[in-house]
Order: sequence, then structure tokens, then C-alpha cells
Amino acid sequence: MKFQLKNTIAVLAFTTLFVSCSNDDDSSSVVEGTTGDVELYFDNGVAGDALILGNTYTNSNNESLTINRLNYIVSNIVLIKEDGTEFTYPKEESYFVISEEGDLLTVHLEGVPAGDYTKVKFGIGVDEQRYLQGESEQQSFWDLAAQYNLTWTWSTGYRFINFEGTYTSPAVEGEKTFQVHQGSNSAIDNYREVTLTLPTTARVREDEMPNIHLKTDANVILDGVNKIKLADNINEAQTGTAIMGGENLISIAENTLQMFAVDHVHNGSHTGHGE
Amino acid sequence: MRTIILILSFACLFISCSKEEEYTEINKSIDFQVPVNFPVLAQDIEHNWPTEKGFELGRKLFYDGRLSADNTISCSFCHEQASAFTHHGHDFSHGINDLVGVRNAPAVQNMAFQSEYFYDGASNSIEMLSIAPIHNPVEMNETLENVVLKLKQDPEYIRLFGVAFDNGEVSSGNVLKALGQFMTMMVSANSRYDKHVRNEPGGDFSQQEQYGMELFQQNCTVCHKTDLFTDSAFRNNGLPPNPNLNDLGRETVTGFAADRHKFKVPSLRNVELTAPYMHDGRFGSLQSVLNFYSSGLVDSATLDEELKHEGVLGIPLTQEEKEALIAFLKTLTDEEYINNSMFYYQT
Repeated sequence: MKFQLKNTIAVLAFTTLFVSCSNDDDSSSVVEGTTGDVELYFDNGVAGDALILGNTYTNSNNESLTINRLNYIVSNIVLIKEDGTEFTYPKEESYFVISEEGDLLTVHLEGVPAGDYTKVKFGIGVDEQRYLQGESEQQSFWDLAAQYNLTWTWSTGYRFINFEGTYTSPAVEGEKTFQVHQGSNSAIDNYREVTLTLPTTARVREDEMPNIHLKTDANVILDGVNKIKLADNINEAQTGTAIMGGENLISIAENTLQMFAVDHVHNGSHTGHGE
Repeated sequence: MRTIILILSFACLFISCSKEEEYTEINKSIDFQVPVNFPVLAQDIEHNWPTEKGFELGRKLFYDGRLSADNTISCSFCHEQASAFTHHGHDFSHGINDLVGVRNAPAVQNMAFQSEYFYDGASNSIEMLSIAPIHNPVEMNETLENVVLKLKQDPEYIRLFGVAFDNGEVSSGNVLKALGQFMTMMVSANSRYDKHVRNEPGGDFSQQEQYGMELFQQNCTVCHKTDLFTDSAFRNNGLPPNPNLNDLGRETVTGFAADRHKFKVPSLRNVELTAPYMHDGRFGSLQSVLNFYSSGLVDSATLDEELKHEGVLGIPLTQEEKEALIAFLKTLTDEEYINNSMFYYQT
């Protein structure tokens, strides 16, 4: 009996919680024509562990990577509601640098129509259309990207991902450097978009800013659906591996489709990670 | 009556003059025309349509050494107008600190009609392409961001950017835009050949030139297509690789072994003026180029199919045919282009 009572209380408490939650929802119903802010927080990790620059991570290719840099570009952000209606963030403002070394981990969006969003879509890198429109159409994004080592100058363009460090592998003697520069060139478009489902609805209101907490898994860049061994791509001088072109970039583009997941969403007026 | 019109038009002129003074400077869109014998534009210039001030600013930048790290090497250093904007007499151009590159400076002409730039396609955008030579350690060895910092110190540039662009900023984007506008206007389409195909006065061909054109159409237009004289494709023409350079060509950009030793088909416009020839400037004369095509090719995994016919490599030609081809190629020289004061350095 006591046990049952406890259960009942628990159920009641739960119900109250649930009711109060829905009460919250009611209290902040969408006011048509209003807008709010949204934050996307990119929590960089490696196969479930936190990414700490300078730390070493062993992957399923049996290679140990000491990661010194993880910078990337996210772009063309779209927020999608339950009924499928999309809000596309203004293209000319929709290019962002995420940088572990720069502690640049948050994308802040403004002027998002109030509503309940269930999915987020974004691109990894810079799309060909915007690229061909020239740098000024990219809103001087070049300067920001250059600051975070995300530009190519020998072949003009952007590095979508700059992933660098050193590695050891049973296949090579001693420690070698690695540089993985993902991007497009005039032969291949490696820009990709991902659509991620939010585990909880992101409520955008004039006074409520959801923070969408994403987890980025740097491990899948080389160790995803496609396996790329750094040792297999070592340079002739045997000093290091630079992956900046060819088939590897196409494989990496496919891998990066699994690089991002939304872990949770903070709703409310005082959300975020204190950035 | 005539006098009245004259006086009236003079008055109009005067009024518009004083208006210009009042509003300081007015920027006007340039009436850019595609030559009738040309294919359509390959670049979307709608979002960076050339304006008078944008073009003038681009020209000033083209001739400005401040685009290089030590302020000595301008674009015009390796791209001289008299040689159809190539570097006459240099197989490889010497850039900053007298460092030497591995490729022969390509002609700058008809840029908006091209879909790929540089011998390896390092850029496919008329606006973005300037990034490559500015940053190349053996060319200008500068960064776009630093160029902007230098230009911001110059009140003249602050004024010119202010007039040329809506946002008026001295910015990396506007530097590239201005250079893009200048290059958009660099159209060479008034050679004797052009006049010939457009049935304009001054387009007469000699018998030899006519014969040369026929030979050209039979043997060369697969790659040197249209009146641009290039298909913008990357091809291995069978040139024996220079082991000292080990230039992989298109593979450098794409990373594909299938692109090894492939280089962009160059336009042949003004070819008389753009010696030396080939991506590494190995041939000093058109005679040597044709000797190569006739009997100098080497076979390899990526040799272009068009240069292999029933086991025969290249394009067999008699000396008479070579001379006729050269005579034809010289009709592609565009005196108006190389002497057009619009592209001169102006102080």
C-alpha cells in the first residue's frame, strides 16, 4: 500500500511537472509577426569524448591522432517546423566559423520568426553558388575564414574543415603530422547539407531564445562510413600526411553527413552555455 | 537652327558638368557588349556589372605594386599589355625577391568568357582568381587582408572605393570586385580574323592565311574551339614532362591521378605576341610549337584521345602547312586590344 502511495505521488508529481510544462507552452504561445533569437552551440568531441586540443585519440583504423586544430564552416541555416514549413536564415548572413582554438563555438541567429521548430538544416562549407558570386557577395567572409585558417589560396576557395595534428600508426615509424583540409575545387563540389531532428522542440519567442546544443564528432572525418588511414596517404618524404584533394575529399564529404547530431535543446529566456 | 541646337547641346553639357561637380563624382554602369562572333559569357557578371569607377579602380589596382608583400610587384609586372598581358621573353616569370615560378604567365583577355582560370584551374571565378597570384609565395606573397590594410592608408583609395561601390568600403571583397570588373572589360575581339568572320572592312585574308584557316579548322578546333580559341578544358597534349619541374598540372588542384599532366587549353588569340609557349614556356616560336605537334608528342596514360589517331601521335604537318597555320595564327593579333588606352596605366 505504502509502495502504491509512493507510486501515486510520483505519478502525481510527474503529472504536475508535465502540466506545468504544457502550462509554460501555453503561456508563451506564438505571437504572429514577432521574432526571436536562436543559438546553435557546437560541442566538439571525438567519438563520445570531449575534444581537448593536444590530446590523443585512437580510432578504429588503429591510428592515434593528437588533434591540434578543428575549425570548420557551417552555413545556409534553415529551421523547420513540425508541419514542414521552413525558415531560411538570410543567405548573405548565413556563413559561420566554428573554431575550437578560437573558442568560437556558437552561432547566433537573429530575427527568426516566433514558432516551434523541430528540425535544423545546415551546410558544411561554402556552396558553389555563393562561391561563384564572389567574395563581396560572401560579405567579406573571406577575412574571417582566413583568420581561422579556413581559406585556400593556391586553389582559390574555402577549407570547409581544417583538421590538423600529429599521429602515430603501426604502419609508420614514429610520429607524423597530419593535415586534413576538406573543401571543393573547380572539379568537385564537396559542399554537403545535413538535416537534424531536434529531440525537443525549439521554442522561438520574442523573449525566449532556444539554444540548440549540437555534438560534433571529429572522429568520423577519417573514421566514419568511409575509413581513411593517414598512413596510407603519407607523403613521399614520409614526414606527414596532407589530405587536400582527390577521392579522399569525396569520402570525407560522405563521412561528414554523420558528423553532427543535436544532443538537446535548452528552451527558455535564460538559456545557453553562458557564451 | 543649327546654331541653336549647338548652343542648346553646349548648354546641356555645361549643366551636366556643373551637376557632376556638385555631386562630386557619379558612377555609371558600362555598356558591356558580347562580340557577335563570341559564345555566351561563362561568368555571371550580373552581380558585379562593370561600372566606370569600378573599372578605373580595378585598373589602378592592376598596376599597383602594393598588391605584393614588398610593394614592388604589380599584376602588370607579369601581364604587359603590349604582349597581350603576358610576360614577354620569360618562360617563367620572376616575382617577388626575384623568385621564379614554374609556369609561363598566361594572357589576360576575354576573361568573362572563360569558366576556368590558370593552367590547372586553380580558380573558376573571375572575382576569386586574383587571390591566387596575390598569395603565391613566388608571385606577390601577400595576403588579401593585408592589401586592404595598406590601401586603407591611402586617401586616394578611400575616395575611389567610396565612389566605385555602394557600400563604399575598402574591403577585400571590393578589391576583388574591382579587379573582376577590370578583367571583364578586357575583351580582345577586333583582330583581322574577327573582321574576316564578321565581314567587316579590314578583314581580308591572303591565300596562305585562308589555307591556314582551313588547316586550323580541320586539325585544331577540337580543343581550340569557338572564336575564343579554347574549350577551357584540361588536356594532356603529350608534352614530355620536365623532370626538374615535375608539374602535375590539373592533378595539383583536383588530386586525381587521371588529371596528371593535364593543362588548360590556352586561347590562341594574340598568340603571335605571347611567346614563349606552353605552360612552362619551353618553345620560343610558333614554328617550334608546330614541330612539336607534328612529331614531338610522347604517349602516356593521360594523353588526350584527340591526339592519337590509329597509332599515330600528334598532327602530322608539312612545312608548307605549318607556315600556312602560322600565317593564319598571326591574323589573331588584335592591335586595338594591345594599344587600347583604356587599359593603360593612368596616373
